[in-house]
Amino acid sequence: MTTSTTPQRIGIVGIPPLAIIKQLETEGCLIFDLDEPHVKRDIELASSYLPRVFCAILRTVIINGLSLKLDRIYIDVGPGKCDCALHTATILADILPETTVITTRNQDSAAFGTPLCTSRLPLLERISAITKSVQSARPYQDLPACVPTAGFWGVPPRDFSLLSLFPDSTHVFGWTRCMENKTPDHQQLEALINPDIPTVFFAQSFCAKTALARHLATKHPHGLYVDCDVTAGNSTKAKIEAFLELSTTQQGSLPDSCPPCSDQLSS
Amino acid sequence: MLLADFGTSYCKLWDTTATAPQLIATKEIDPALKVDLATGHNGKRHTDNYVNELTALARGGNVLIDADHYTLLDCGSRDIKYICYEQGKIKNMGWNAECGASMGFTIELLERYYNLDFTTMQVPASSFSVTCGVLGMSHIFDAVVGGASEAEAVAKFVKGIALNAYNFAGNPDIIYLSGGLCDNPLFVASFPCQVVLLGRFVLLHGLKAIATHAKKISANGQARQ
Repeated sequence: MTTSTTPQRIGIVGIPPLAIIKQLETEGCLIFDLDEPHVKRDIELASSYLPRVFCAILRTVIINGLSLKLDRIYIDVGPGKCDCALHTATILADILPETTVITTRNQDSAAFGTPLCTSRLPLLERISAITKSVQSARPYQDLPACVPTAGFWGVPPRDFSLLSLFPDSTHVFGWTRCMENKTPDHQQLEALINPDIPTVFFAQSFCAKTALARHLATKHPHGLYVDCDVTAGNSTKAKIEAFLELSTTQQGSLPDSCPPCSDQLSS
Repeated sequence: MLLADFGTSYCKLWDTTATAPQLIATKEIDPALKVDLATGHNGKRHTDNYVNELTALARGGNVLIDADHYTLLDCGSRDIKYICYEQGKIKNMGWNAECGASMGFTIELLERYYNLDFTTMQVPASSFSVTCGVLGMSHIFDAVVGGASEAEAVAKFVKGIALNAYNFAGNPDIIYLSGGLCDNPLFVASFPCQVVLLGRFVLLHGLKAIATHAKKISANGQARQ
């Protein structure tokens, strides 16, 4: 009889409940966040299993699932993720007979806080850290909140390059904030905005969150709705760049002094 | 200072020591040409100082439009884009490079192919549903096969494009129009709202404002030293 010390290879989609993350940490599993690209394969390969007109993140999940030889996949299909993930779970279970696909409905309500969302660091770095934090049950380090000059509302994009257009003093809102807080179905937190700062409302094309993103952008006194599919094209990047630039200068100038930080949920 | 808007079909160049900008077909531009400040699809190849087209459009609008509440729509050869200001603040903007693709280019192509004169054509009562220049062409061919005159079919196509651009810009009461299609009276008359024509050089005015501002900042900095 032989015993293997090779860690189990686990894929996660969305944010599985904390109890599962703790269990995976205890087992010393190797965790892959399947929402992010892990392999250099053409996303069109997913079209054999999912329609082309479908969320690029879930198409990425399929590509990762086909490529990573996983022992198990935990895919959240509750109100903190989406119906599309529910159907993707069915497809994954069918096309990956060697992998155990386990659906979860994460309704964790213990707030971990959102220090990265309000700190002053490059936005790309912060959202990378937030997505990475999903794989750990450890509490966060405190970080000082900065005075915001811009807002990013939405999910972590499939194409992180668009995040490099934002200033370091951007506050993060929407589902990404719920992600850091480890409460993915916290709808009140997801709908939180700061009306005093110009905010880009981002959603992946063909995702149900496009409805909320556009609705909130319309309500926001200074919001821009943007969606993009697999990669952010030049026109999408130009829109964000121009919006942020024009929002802080004439005609659309902001006051010389920055607005106070007013984007925390009252307890 | 040489400013340029390097568009898909036409380039607009402005030597600021001259009074008026020049219009040159893009295919005639020297690939080695370098300018001081540029915008447009092909601009990055010709300068070290590139300005995003939406920013140039907005700055041009700030110079040319004496209002703090307006929608400025630029209909180019390849795409359409707009900027909307409300109470002096940027309210919304859009750049439709995919589904609004090739509208201006297609209109010019049809004008030449069918030998049409847009200055004499009437706005039709109805229009085709056109979301993009390329896809809209099939409506024209179908209408001509069905017995419509070429001019009538193209007029419906042009009106469809104008309505699409109007919807894209958020259905304003007044549109400030920028770009080469300002010179197409059929297109302009097809909008269901008041249209104020600003011509082809709005982005150049934006570049000039940006260059002037940069010069002032630089001069102030030197004066302080």
